Amino acid sequence: MRKVLKISLCVAIVFLLVIPQLAVAEDPVKIGVLVPLTGIVAQGGLEMKYGIEMAAAEKGTVLGRPIELLVEDTQVKPPIAVTKAEKLVYKDDCKALIGVFSSGVGLAISKNIDKLNVPFLSTHVMTTKFYSLHPLVFRSGQLANDQTAVGNVKGIIARPDLKDRNYYVIVHDYSWGHDAGERFIALAKENGIKIYNEDYDKAPIKTKDWSSYISKIKASGVDGIYMAFITNVIPVFAKQAADFGLQAQGIKLVSAAAPGPLELEAGGEACYGIFGASDWSWDVNNPISDKWELDFFEKYKTIPSDAAVHSYVGAMNLFNAIEKAGNTDAKAIADALRGISYDGPYGTVRISAKDNCMRNDAVLTETMAAPDNPFGAKVYMKVLETFKAEELGPPE
Amino acid sequence: MMSDITSIPGDRPSAAPIKIFGFAAIFLALAILPFVWDNRFYISLITQIMIYGLLAMSLDVLLGYTGLLSFMHNAYLGIGAYMVGLFLIHVSPTSLWLACLVGVIFTGAVALPVGWVQVRTGGLAFALLTLAFGMMFHTIVWKWYSVTGGDDGLMGVPSPDIQLFRWTVGNTGDPTHIYLLTLVVVAICFVLTRRIIRSPFGAVLEAIRENEERAAFVGINVRRYKLYGWMLACILAGIAGALFILYKGYIGPTTMSAFAGAGVLMMVLLGGMGSLWGPLIGAGIFIYIQDYITTMTEHWEIYLGLVVILLVLFMPTGFVGMGSYLKRMRRN
Amino acid sequence: MTGIATAVDIALNSLVLGGVFLIVAIGLNIIYGLSRVMNLAHGSLFAIGAYTGYTLVASGLNFFVALLITPIIAGFVGLILERMIIAPMRKRSMIYTLILTYGLMFFLDGMIKQTWGNEPRFIELPIFMGETLSILGTHYPVFRLVTLAITAVVMIALMLFLNKTRLGIILRAASTIPEMVSCLGFNMNYVHIGAFVLGSALAGVAGIIAGPLTTIDPLMGHEMLISSFVVIVIGGLGSLRGAVYAAILIGVVQTLAEFFITDLAMVIVYMMMAVILAFRPLGLLGEGKFE
Repeated sequence: MRKVLKISLCVAIVFLLVIPQLAVAEDPVKIGVLVPLTGIVAQGGLEMKYGIEMAAAEKGTVLGRPIELLVEDTQVKPPIAVTKAEKLVYKDDCKALIGVFSSGVGLAISKNIDKLNVPFLSTHVMTTKFYSLHPLVFRSGQLANDQTAVGNVKGIIARPDLKDRNYYVIVHDYSWGHDAGERFIALAKENGIKIYNEDYDKAPIKTKDWSSYISKIKASGVDGIYMAFITNVIPVFAKQAADFGLQAQGIKLVSAAAPGPLELEAGGEACYGIFGASDWSWDVNNPISDKWELDFFEKYKTIPSDAAVHSYVGAMNLFNAIEKAGNTDAKAIADALRGISYDGPYGTVRISAKDNCMRNDAVLTETMAAPDNPFGAKVYMKVLETFKAEELGPPE
Repeated sequence: MMSDITSIPGDRPSAAPIKIFGFAAIFLALAILPFVWDNRFYISLITQIMIYGLLAMSLDVLLGYTGLLSFMHNAYLGIGAYMVGLFLIHVSPTSLWLACLVGVIFTGAVALPVGWVQVRTGGLAFALLTLAFGMMFHTIVWKWYSVTGGDDGLMGVPSPDIQLFRWTVGNTGDPTHIYLLTLVVVAICFVLTRRIIRSPFGAVLEAIRENEERAAFVGINVRRYKLYGWMLACILAGIAGALFILYKGYIGPTTMSAFAGAGVLMMVLLGGMGSLWGPLIGAGIFIYIQDYITTMTEHWEIYLGLVVILLVLFMPTGFVGMGSYLKRMRRN
Repeated sequence: MTGIATAVDIALNSLVLGGVFLIVAIGLNIIYGLSRVMNLAHGSLFAIGAYTGYTLVASGLNFFVALLITPIIAGFVGLILERMIIAPMRKRSMIYTLILTYGLMFFLDGMIKQTWGNEPRFIELPIFMGETLSILGTHYPVFRLVTLAITAVVMIALMLFLNKTRLGIILRAASTIPEMVSCLGFNMNYVHIGAFVLGSALAGVAGIIAGPLTTIDPLMGHEMLISSFVVIVIGGLGSLRGAVYAAILIGVVQTLAEFFITDLAMVIVYMMMAVILAFRPLGLLGEGKFE
């Protein structure tokens, strides 16, 4: 008996001495956040950063250790993003990478993922090349191009004001734009939607003055435009089209990406009437979404955007996966990410075990004058239709 | 030209033993570095510094020795890198040396007609032509989607093994191996360029820089020598390009932009013109500062700008003493 | 839409585009012509002009009042930069001012982002300018026509200033034979200051008129710098008349190329530049014809 007591005392002492020390000695779990903070999509990058920070603050700890985010600016340039990723992993010992805007940057990091050997979860890369790209590469964020195309085509067919139009397709000249244009054109043709230019226009990302393109669209006599532009260019294009009176002549705009709220505010009335499939807008009404958008606004004093919300959800999926993996081993986290899901502001977001990319519900939105709202927004994306995850695909 | 290097008279002494010793010591220290300091990030950063150092050095051949300014020397790094990358992807994923040879020869083949047009001018017109051709190459690479990958850049470049006479000594995908390969290649290029510059050929280049007319009067074919200087600089840039693609496994059009070109010029000035080793140091300072500041703050542009302004204002001669050079520039 | 209407559209588009290029490029050229400084921060001054215009209009001023105030503010910024940063380096080789202004460009772009944020801004225009006007079957935005008119007024004013006023004549003389102007007792320092202020003010004007045409964002200066560089290189460095021809040429070629062979538009522009320079290395009108 005394022996048992002695042993249990020893064990207790060891526990008492060791456990707090373990807790103290436990380093934070470092997560590398790669977002563009300068360059053309700096605003989107900032919103992504906010979303991920908010998730980290809410989650607090994983594996009993605090989460530490290390943020690096990709400048939307693939070589710089790769150097920054190396820095985060090799120098700062980050256990996972999250974020990334632009398919070009996302693909460049994925090409180096074998060397980096950490899970990489993108929250904003939309190219379909991401499906089953690499066991360590994941997507949980903005809808992929095929999903957006399905949403947009379904939306166009469902709405009498969009159906039976002849669409002019114009995209930004890089992999995402090409992918988005081709996905839409293929699907539209299957569904009997008329496309004016199957050999669609590719505009340089640097384009500021759209007047030549707009004149070309005017001359073509179409009554619909399908545009795949980087979010903050959408209102710019819409504004210039409005200057030329395109919308006033009854031409409808359908967008492959959701416009950022601050850009919509800047564009004002000219930005009314842009349709597009998106996973979320603050017009989505459910208790989680309503609470989330108020919390976000409270914290960052900026209109909650879809870039912020899917970065938030993506980060939550990643943190939960680390928790589920039980350690920070790359393969363990990757295994845990496959099939994980999170119930967030836009319903359940599940990362498919088949192709490492997420499935979730989405909405078709139209931009219009906003009703009274706590954020002081004048333009908003009104929800017109809701799509189920199974409808958007791709099938598993 | 190379054969009579040793017979150069007094005022151009062959490298003093102490310099050779210093060079060997630096080389050895750098070669040992990855084995004693196991930090892959810094090894990778130093690799990048050496590659850009080689590019800056090649620009120095043009600017510091021939007196010709190239705004977009990075375009030739880009051409070399794309060609090596395309060769590895489409022709043979394992032939490292052949790919590099093809890349460098191709860079030379592109640079030759451009140089032929450019050397018919001098001074500012030359500089503007480099800008015009550089931007043309940049746009072609950027818009030729089917070949170059357009804005996304060239991706999926394989990492071939490094083979020396049938023995496989490493793989370019390994950070340490590519570091050592870069070190060896840059060192060889440095030594060779130094010898060329110290040869009578180099003296001709400097004569052209000092006074083009006088050089012509003593019977030097100015245009031809300018073209030689230009080709030497472009081929070195092509070699830097080959190393770049092997190190990064990726090249995109931003690497060839006019802004990136001004960055290379900055490296040369920071280090000091007309010394060959100055630009290597300049590249180190520039890349390190840039990496450090961009991590510190998202408003890095402000601080990088300030650093550049202060350096130019208060340390205009770069790290290499170059007061004499400035005097010459002023006299011109 | 008829062919004529499209042709009118294209013609007006190219004039508007060329007009903005022209004002920025002329400013760059004046600075180069008079003080031999290639100002890489010129695009940033253009952006500062646009943001200043935006801020003034957003604070309730009329667009046309802002149009008058903006160049004064931009000119003042130019004055400060010249005195503090450029002047100490003037005696050195041009390469140094080049790199100096390269640093300045980063600094100013960063400050712009710090002050105004990342999101694009649009200048609120007077109501009548938001309309479209029907010309030969096409509806063309009124403010684009106003932009054309402003460009013309600025260019005519500049021409009169350089040709008819005493100060303008001194400036022109200073660009060709600076020594002679110094000998006549004019302080070349003032010429340099004047050039920088005038150039910056022109960048400011271009900024506020380009604001409504495109969009105001922290990167707007970069693109404009490259475009105006192409213009002055084709026209001939320091040559004002050359800049006019080149700006119109680029405006027309770029617009036509964007319309007809959309995807390769910029390749055409740069190829044209390389070809022109290969045959005329100093640009269409040669270097330094400051008139």
